[in-house]
Amino acid sequence: MSTRDLVLVALFAAIIVALGLVPPFTLGFIPVPITAQSLGVMLAGCILGARRGAAAVLLVLLLVVIGLPVLSGGRGGLAVFVGPTAGYLAGWVAGAFVTGLIAERLVRETQPELAQFLGFLAAAIVGGIGVVYLFGIAWLSYSSGKAFMEIAMASLIFIPGDLIKAFIAMLAGRAVLAGYPLLPART
Amino acid sequence: MDIVFSEASVSFAGRPALHPLSLRLFERRIGIIGLNGSGKTTFARLINGLLRPTIGQVTVGGLDTVKDEAAVRGRAGFIFQNPQHQMILPVLSEDIAFGLKNRRLSKEEISARTDAVLERFRITHLAGRRIHELSGGETQLAAIASVLVTGPDVLILDEPTNQLDLKNRRLIEETIAGLPEQAIVITHDLPLLDGFDRVLLFHEGRLEADAAPQEAVRTYRRIVGC
Amino acid sequence: MLTGLDIAGDTPLHRASARLKLILLFLAAVALFLVHSPWALAAAAIIAVGLYASTGIAPGEAVRRVRFVLFTVLLVAVANYIFHSLDDALAVLFRLGALVLLAAAVTATTTISAFMDEITRLLRPLERFGFVRAADVSLAVGLVLRFVPEILARYGDIREAHRARGLRVRPLGVLVPLIILTLKDADTIAMAIDARAFRRQ
Repeated sequence: MSTRDLVLVALFAAIIVALGLVPPFTLGFIPVPITAQSLGVMLAGCILGARRGAAAVLLVLLLVVIGLPVLSGGRGGLAVFVGPTAGYLAGWVAGAFVTGLIAERLVRETQPELAQFLGFLAAAIVGGIGVVYLFGIAWLSYSSGKAFMEIAMASLIFIPGDLIKAFIAMLAGRAVLAGYPLLPART
Repeated sequence: MDIVFSEASVSFAGRPALHPLSLRLFERRIGIIGLNGSGKTTFARLINGLLRPTIGQVTVGGLDTVKDEAAVRGRAGFIFQNPQHQMILPVLSEDIAFGLKNRRLSKEEISARTDAVLERFRITHLAGRRIHELSGGETQLAAIASVLVTGPDVLILDEPTNQLDLKNRRLIEETIAGLPEQAIVITHDLPLLDGFDRVLLFHEGRLEADAAPQEAVRTYRRIVGC
Repeated sequence: MLTGLDIAGDTPLHRASARLKLILLFLAAVALFLVHSPWALAAAAIIAVGLYASTGIAPGEAVRRVRFVLFTVLLVAVANYIFHSLDDALAVLFRLGALVLLAAAVTATTTISAFMDEITRLLRPLERFGFVRAADVSLAVGLVLRFVPEILARYGDIREAHRARGLRVRPLGVLVPLIILTLKDADTIAMAIDARAFRRQ
C-alpha cells in the first residue's frame, strides 16, 4: 500500500466515524431516520474500490475494538462484537470489499452517466446489502437460539431503508467519481 | 550544505513547470520569490525529493534526491504551505515524536529530544494540546519544531507567514531569523527577506533573477509592473 | 472529543494483561455457547454482572454503554419465548447478556495503548509475510483521531454554506462535497508523511 493509499483509507475511516457522530438524516418522504454510518460502508467500496474500501471499514472496527465509541450513537468496545447484531459489523468489511469489486468491474470514468449509476447501484445492493445481510443473518441465526428463522425474517424489515441508502450511495458514488475519481478500474 | 541543480527541469504531462536550471546553493538564508504558479514550489520540492526532476539531477550534500531519497529527506526538512496538513497525529507531543519513530531510538531518547525541541521553540506548554485546537502561529511553530526534531541540515519553508496575523507573522519572522540551520524560504512576504544572503526570482518557470534581496525584489516589481 | 471507554482504576481486572483478558473472554464465549441449561447460564450472567461492577464504573455509565446491545439481546429472547419456550428464551438472554457484560468489563479496564500493543504483537507474524505493517496500522489509527474533528468542522461549514445560499440541507448536498474535500487532502498529507521520512523501508 502506498502512503497515499494509507492516507485515503484513514481519511475515509475518519469520514465514517464522523458520519456516526452527526445527527441522522431524515428524508422528507419517509419518517425513518437514516443513520449515515452503514451508508459509509457502501460509499467506501464505491469510492475507494475493494481493497482500500474494506481496509477503511476494517480500520473503523479496529477503533471500536480498542475501546473508542465511534459507532453511531456513541457505541463502541468489545460488547458490540458479541451481541446478536455483531455479524452485520463483520459483514461491513466483506460488504465494502464486494461493493468495491463490483464497482471496479462495472464502472468506468468514460461510460455514459446511466451506466455508471446502474453499476454503482448494483455494487451497493449486492455488496452493501446482500453480503452484509449474509454475514449478519448467519451470526444472528447462530447466536439467537431456536427462533433463528423468525428472527432472520424479522431482520428483513430493514431492507427498504437499506435500499434507500444504496440509492444515495449510487448518487454520491457517481458524483464523487465525476469530481475526484479514485476508483481503480478492473477488467 | 551544498545543494546542486544540474540541468534539472520538470514538466507535468508534457507542459514545462520548471525550465532546465543549473545552480549551487550554499548560503545560510536563501529566499525564493515569484508570482503564483511561477515554479517556486516546484523548485523547492525538488530539493528534498518530494518531486523528481523530469530531466537532470539534484543533489543535497552530494546525495542524489532520486537515488538516495530517504537519506535526502533526513537532511532536508520541508514545512508545507498549510502546516495543518503536515501535523499528522492528534496531539502535539505525539506528532513531534512521530518523526523520530522508526529510527531505532529508545523511548527515553525520543521523549528527551521531543522535550528539547518544544523547549527550544518555547511551546512546552502546548505539548499535550490537540493539533486542531492550536492557533495559526502555534501551528506554524509546532510544524517547524516537528521537522527540526529530526535534525535536518537545511529547512525549506513554503510561505511560512501566509495566513498569519501581524503578531504571529513577526513571531515566525524572528524564529526564522534565529535558526542556526540553513533555511530556504518561499515567500510573498517581501520584508521577511531583509538580511537574507541570496534571493531567487522565478517567473513563468524560469529563474529570472539570482541576486541580493533588494535587487531581486526590484526586478520582481519591474516584471510584474507594480 | 474521542476519548476511550477505559475507566481509570486499580482493580484485579485493570491489573490483568490485555492478552489474558482477551483469551479469557474468548474462552468464556466458547463455554457459554456449549452450555444450554438456563440455570447454569443464569449463574454465569450473575458472575458477569459482578465482574462488570467490579471495574468501578459508575452505575449510570455502566447501563448507558450496554443498553443498546442488551436491548437487541432482549428482542431475541422475546422472539424465542413467543415461538418456542421460556427455557429457550432465558438461555439466550443469559448467555448473550453474560457475554456482553464480560466484553464491556474488558473494554472498561483496558487502555487504548494496551490494546494497540496487543494488536501490534498479533500483526507481527503477518508483517513477516508482507501483508501489513504494524507501524502503518498505528499511524492509520492516529490519522483517524487527528482528522475526525476537522471533518466534523467541515461538515458544519458545508451545512452553513448551504443555509447561507438559501439551499435546503440534503444528505447528498452535504456528503459529496464533504467526501471530495476531505479526500483531496490525501495527497498533501501523504506528501507530509513522506517528507518526514516515516515509512522508510
